[in-house]
Amino acid sequence: MVENGATSSHVLVIGSGGAGVRAAIEAAEHGSVVLLSKTIAGKGGCTPMAEGGYNAVLREEDDPSLHAADTLKGGAYLNDPALVEALVHEAPDRVRELVAWGAVFDVAPGGGVAQRPFGGQQRPRTCYAGDRTGHEMMVTLMDRLAATDVRVVHECAAVELLLDEGRCAGAAALNRDGELGVFLADAVVLATGGGTQVYDISTNSASGTGDGYALGYRAGAELIDMEMVQFHPTGAIQPYDARGRLVTEAVRGEGGRLLNSLGERFMSRYDPERMELSTRDVVARAIATEILEGRGTERGGVWLDVTHLPPEQVEERLPIMLEQFLAYGVDIRKEPMEVAPTAHHIMGGLRITPGCATTVPGLFAAGECSGGVHGANRLGGNALAETQVFGRRAGRSAGLEPERRREVTPAIDRQLGALRRRFDDYLDGEVPPHSVVKRLKLTMWEGAGIFRDHEGLARALAGVEALRNERLRATTRRNLLECCTAENQCLLASLICRAGLLRPECRGAHTRRDPTCELPPDRSPYGHTFLSLASEGIEEVRT
Amino acid sequence: MTRMTVQVSRFEPDAGVSARLVPYEVEVHEGARVLHALYAIHEQDPTLAYRYCCGSGQCGSCAVRVNGKPGLACMTPVVDGDVIEPLDLPVVRDLVVDLVPRIERIAALIPGDRAELPDRETVDAMKDRCDCVECGSCISVCPAVAVSDFAGPTAMRQLERLQVDPRDAEDRVVQARDDGLFNCTSCHACYEACPKDIRIMGKAIERLRAEANRRGFTLPRHLEVSDLVRTTGRSVVRTETPLFERIDPVIEPYGPVRGEVAFFVGCMYSMRLPQTALDAIEVLRRNGIRVVVPMEQVCCGSPLIRTGQLDQLPRVMTINRKAFAPYPVVMTMCAGCGATLKNDYEDLPFRVMDINEVLTEFGIEPPAHLSVTVTYHDPCHLLRGQGISEQPRAFIRQVADLVEMPARCCGSGGGVKSGKPEVAAALGELRREAIAATGAEQVVTSCPFCEFHIAGHTDLPVRNITSLLLEAYRKKDEKEAAASTPPSN
Ligand SMILES: Cc1cc2nc3c(=O)[nH]c(=O)nc-3n(C[C@H](O)[C@H](O)[C@H](O)COP(=O)(O)OP(=O)(O)OC[C@H]3O[C@@H](n4cnc5c(N)ncnc54)[C@H](O)[C@@H]3O)c2cc1C
Ligand code: SF4
Ligand code: SF4
Ligand code: FES
Repeated sequence: MVENGATSSHVLVIGSGGAGVRAAIEAAEHGSVVLLSKTIAGKGGCTPMAEGGYNAVLREEDDPSLHAADTLKGGAYLNDPALVEALVHEAPDRVRELVAWGAVFDVAPGGGVAQRPFGGQQRPRTCYAGDRTGHEMMVTLMDRLAATDVRVVHECAAVELLLDEGRCAGAAALNRDGELGVFLADAVVLATGGGTQVYDISTNSASGTGDGYALGYRAGAELIDMEMVQFHPTGAIQPYDARGRLVTEAVRGEGGRLLNSLGERFMSRYDPERMELSTRDVVARAIATEILEGRGTERGGVWLDVTHLPPEQVEERLPIMLEQFLAYGVDIRKEPMEVAPTAHHIMGGLRITPGCATTVPGLFAAGECSGGVHGANRLGGNALAETQVFGRRAGRSAGLEPERRREVTPAIDRQLGALRRRFDDYLDGEVPPHSVVKRLKLTMWEGAGIFRDHEGLARALAGVEALRNERLRATTRRNLLECCTAENQCLLASLICRAGLLRPECRGAHTRRDPTCELPPDRSPYGHTFLSLASEGIEEVRT
Repeated sequence: MTRMTVQVSRFEPDAGVSARLVPYEVEVHEGARVLHALYAIHEQDPTLAYRYCCGSGQCGSCAVRVNGKPGLACMTPVVDGDVIEPLDLPVVRDLVVDLVPRIERIAALIPGDRAELPDRETVDAMKDRCDCVECGSCISVCPAVAVSDFAGPTAMRQLERLQVDPRDAEDRVVQARDDGLFNCTSCHACYEACPKDIRIMGKAIERLRAEANRRGFTLPRHLEVSDLVRTTGRSVVRTETPLFERIDPVIEPYGPVRGEVAFFVGCMYSMRLPQTALDAIEVLRRNGIRVVVPMEQVCCGSPLIRTGQLDQLPRVMTINRKAFAPYPVVMTMCAGCGATLKNDYEDLPFRVMDINEVLTEFGIEPPAHLSVTVTYHDPCHLLRGQGISEQPRAFIRQVADLVEMPARCCGSGGGVKSGKPEVAAALGELRREAIAATGAEQVVTSCPFCEFHIAGHTDLPVRNITSLLLEAYRKKDEKEAAASTPPSN
């Protein structure tokens, strides 16, 4: 499949998380597939880290229409309803498929996949494998992938999408040694996951740098709702280097209680009905408010307590939490966990159709790098479902694209030339990427965090733009990728700030202290914010 | 913030020089892990290559050796002076090893007709084996992987998990056999290295071997052992006058009785190395310990368990349990018997102690120092099976100069010596090299299997620790005798 130094396939999938691997498995039904992964395939991204579970309607007491209603309400009605329909109707089949492929989910007392209650949902709908659900899914998907002819390219990162006459025709990539590779394809699926590594405190893996948003944007794709960043209410705060590490919502799903420093179960003030199992935006704001108003712990958190639960329940249902806290000397069976909000998920992303087509012909997107499924706030458990439902759809759509001549055209050659010049600039740049990234993360946490206003967002944006102007330095060719990644992070941060400035209302995760519109979400006049090379703005649905 | 110095192995593939340790001074926050020190080093020196992704023990990208022991960089606390090296696998650069070919040997589930989730019991039976993050640590320490084309511990883990799963369509027992099921020496190095604490030997390999036994795949030499146990109660043939025919059932100490142990002798010491057992008895007597030897005792069952031949197990266990029931302390001196009694027998009415523990607990009469340099071979079933490593060393240091060598399986365990002699021999040869590298004059160990096997792979004398102690006591006696007889002029 290597021609003239370029690797060629019918479909190129970028990213080996839940969405990418599912897409590759599906696309392989239609032709040759190359799967490009920044990490060893299956080890990167957030899917293997996902703990809590996967939402799907599996039992009679539940109904897809309830799942849709919960998702829309949780998403503050900013979701694209057609995408939500696809999600709720296909999530059950995709989970059954995972089971058929060997996934070891926990079993319900009466048999079948066990489900637990998660925030903002009227029924216990979240399927799980202890608190290592994503890992179990990933292992299963990698098993399935091994049975296909998909060619997996490990530790090779896409740095630019290649365009030919307005169509996406492949990608340029860097391997571990800093060598540039060219991957040509009739259709490309972007499945690079999220990007909350632009924040100082984040749950994401090291590959959560938002490459897909940046690649897509530079290729001319339209992105929507980039201001919608989910701050997960419960991230670890100790020790310093593990700050932000996710404390799964399953802890609250299993009955965990949030307490402030006065010992009050403070959620009764914010959502007396749903308490700890309110939606994440509400719980995160509640915790942030408690801390801001001086009712936090000394280290700036609140308590999350499971000591009232039987220790066996903690051991069986939350083994990873138990293990991770024990490693830092806290036995959660006996002591409460100290938690604070952490940047978790990017709800926005490339605008897609239900067939996962982006606004660039030949380019498809699925998983966290796409936007529209979760609206303004994602329900816990919906992202894993999203990876499977839309991963499959994207793989199929890409696979169904007609075969074309795959060659390095003059247009592509020009892009490669520009890329090589960019690399040369890095090689004689000045600022090490880690220094830029560190400052970027602080800037974003400060100005584009849980609570926002115009001034703060504008200041953050100015800071980000200044960082984008610094001349990144690659010590050797092997460091080129770090520069590309830092540049992508800066671009993602800029998109978040710009989108934040475009939306003048409080909506889901986007909490403005200075809203100019105070209508409730279901009557909001605003639709998606959108950003592309061509234009940016906010849709107005009603006047 | 704390300042510390750590050493990191650097290796440049095309530079034509081997890996070297480079010291780095770094500043890290309280509670930092090895990974965070590596971040800090990478900031100083961006050429450092290392792997990581999740930062929370969930992806298995970051395993390295910290002070010789494998661990996940993101979970292992970093301390001043740490030496950070790549796993013992082919190194790509610095701390990065070639992991993918190893991961590719882990089997994938092939769906059959059954598409539903198995019942709770079945799921519970395989759940803990699903925790593997494919970090490669176990593979890097496995002696069988080092000398044969054994697919490796985690590959066996996966085959067993698939074997239990009714959704899987393949014959995993045959596959396991073909992938080296019988090459595992039961050394437990994989369990010790596993960040997820998966007991691969007990939970996967022994179970697969039991399944293989049901399917008639047990190796002929292992069947012979099982037949021997059935007919003689012993797993080895008689080559010398067995210990039991040489001793009384109760052996009183020389001085006042300071304690009493019931001696679980084991097949090797009773049938092959009775002299070593006699040496041990002498040492015990000398230290005031009464030795009771229940004559009904039989093979502990270890050779049966390790090779998956479980049918006679309840019988031998019952006999031993009954024979030793009257005694509060049962002493083993075979590492394999000790580990088996401690780990495979359930709810024993007595306490099981290895002879090293017994002597440590009672304290020993100081021996003479022999001017000899020795190295100590850690028996796997003592070190990892029973957590005993310091006690024997403390005795050795009293009588000889000790030079350490890395702990590694000699190849005699798990039925490998009989079933896969070429694997056992290859590992024995690796021990030969390690022993030679120490410059020692003698090898000391504390397990009859190791003693017997290593003796075939070194030109140096291989001795049991109690034989060494006994020699030191004899020397002491000689000296004292010499001192009390007036010098003749
Ligand atoms: C700690 C944590 C816990 C979570 N728990 C849950 C949960 O319980 N339930 C739930 O529904 N959701 C959960 N989420 C969210 C969910 O895990 C993610 O949204 C989802 O897994 C994203 O899947 P993905 O396939 O889109 O991307 P990812 O799984 O993030 O994978 C992205 C892949 O792209 C690769 N990649 C990135 N950039 C490039 C590039 N430039 N070139 C090539 N490859 C690239 C990466 O290596 C990686 O393989 C959790 C998230 C986190 C961080
Ligand atoms: S017990 Fe030892 S020989 Fe057997 S698989 Fe584990 S490491 Fe390898
Ligand atoms: S079994 Fe344990 S040591 Fe081996 S690869 Fe899996 S997690 Fe790592
Ligand atoms: S970085 Fe994922 S396990 Fe350490």
